[in-house]
Amino acid sequence: MPPIRLTRSLLGTFQTASPRSTATLKQRCCYHSSQYSQPPPFAPAESAILSAAISHVPNVGFTIDALKLGARDAGYLDASTNLFPRGVFDLINYHLVTQRLALKDTVQFPTEGENGKKLGTGVKIRTLALARLRANEPVVHKWQEALAIMAQPTYVPPSLAELARLSDEMWYLAGDKSVDGSWYTKRASLSAIYSATEVFMTQDTSRNFVDTEQFLDARLSDGMKLGSTFGALSAWTDYTVHSAVNVLRSKGMRI
Amino acid sequence: MATPILSPIRTLSRNAPRPQFLVATVSASRRALHNTPSPKATTTDIAPPATSPSNKPTTTTPSTPLTQPQKDFLDSALRVNQAGELAAVLIYTAQTPPLLRSHPHLRPLMKHMHDQEAGHFTYFNSLLHKHRIRPTAMYPIWHVAASALGWGTAIMGREAAMACTEAVETEIGSHYNEQVRVLLDWADKMERKGETLGEELMGLIGELRRIRDEELEHLDHAVENDSKEARPYELLTNVIRGGCRTAIWISEKV
Repeated sequence: MPPIRLTRSLLGTFQTASPRSTATLKQRCCYHSSQYSQPPPFAPAESAILSAAISHVPNVGFTIDALKLGARDAGYLDASTNLFPRGVFDLINYHLVTQRLALKDTVQFPTEGENGKKLGTGVKIRTLALARLRANEPVVHKWQEALAIMAQPTYVPPSLAELARLSDEMWYLAGDKSVDGSWYTKRASLSAIYSATEVFMTQDTSRNFVDTEQFLDARLSDGMKLGSTFGALSAWTDYTVHSAVNVLRSKGMRI
Repeated sequence: MATPILSPIRTLSRNAPRPQFLVATVSASRRALHNTPSPKATTTDIAPPATSPSNKPTTTTPSTPLTQPQKDFLDSALRVNQAGELAAVLIYTAQTPPLLRSHPHLRPLMKHMHDQEAGHFTYFNSLLHKHRIRPTAMYPIWHVAASALGWGTAIMGREAAMACTEAVETEIGSHYNEQVRVLLDWADKMERKGETLGEELMGLIGELRRIRDEELEHLDHAVENDSKEARPYELLTNVIRGGCRTAIWISEKV
């Protein structure tokens, strides 16, 4: 790492979290309703610069240069990169947010009953995860830079929050309706699987990312096995406890 | 305003041969509402009808988006409601077998209350999914705690079980009342500005009122079944109500 970038990243580490980052953390909550139109995630000027900057990423990587080139393309001064107090992380965040929101348009599941049988949630999750990974394809050779920036202590909380939102989005789009304890375990395991696959993909040299696909399938089936084991275990415990109580009741114990 | 409290009873009595517990419900409901220590439970019944959405039948969409504090309120309110109904279902489920063993005549009452709670639970589950609200992280803990509470009070006897119902439903009733009051306040303010709250939230207000009335009906049944005879009544109800309030507070946060 060149010394300039090192100092910058160290500075970034000690910077207090900007007010913007707390704002993004806050918008995680929420009452979502189709009755209200969702506000766009970025202001028009930000959006113009960032979307132009993203197109430079395959060449110059996730760097401040990409932001500057983007600002120039959008007709702003180089200095307007000051709009982004978190610098390159804002660019990465833009990529993450827009790709997450794009999922609902890029992946369309056939409506039930169209071809006779229903798609399982597992299949849908796989499709969604693959679609999201495919969206990284144009920048995948630079993605390790992005991962390194996201791993800086200041940016870890917003990055994890974004990962959580992504996996929530995937479960929602897959039509999962569970609102019990499994809500958390499902999101946690999908986050783990997705981020592992994303890292794997940066090193994947196979054609059309076949290896990544296999890696994802293996992780998903591990996850499912684990899930069904836990499910079976808790069902068994439940059954045993209930029958034990019923046996005691039948023996005349007043419980 | 007595109608919403009575209507579920009427439907029930149409379907089933009139069980013992329904006799003198009306007088009991009056008595219960006056006897319960929390005066909150009755207050909104006087206040709310100020806003009547019915005179504007075309208002299906809200005129302004919800503000962040409003979203936060709905987020935590619906999460708490789901957790509360989960607990209610589990309490009745756990109470039923030990209670029916010594008092088989309570079967229709327990089934009636359990089925209503199960309906509420399903309703809030669907809302949580629809509005993408996370369930409380304490879900497994409430699961165990509620079952233990139901089972424990049922072992202590009919009076204790009913005292438990009374305490829980008093807290839940006043909790729903507060929510209805907040939502009506929003509706009121928006109406004054010539805006509307939208069909979705008006529907929610209606449902919350119905559910509150059903909870208060359970309270009546509990009082009627000698919840006041439980020993030690004060200690038991206060501990349970304190527990409910703590659980509500926690579920609002996590």
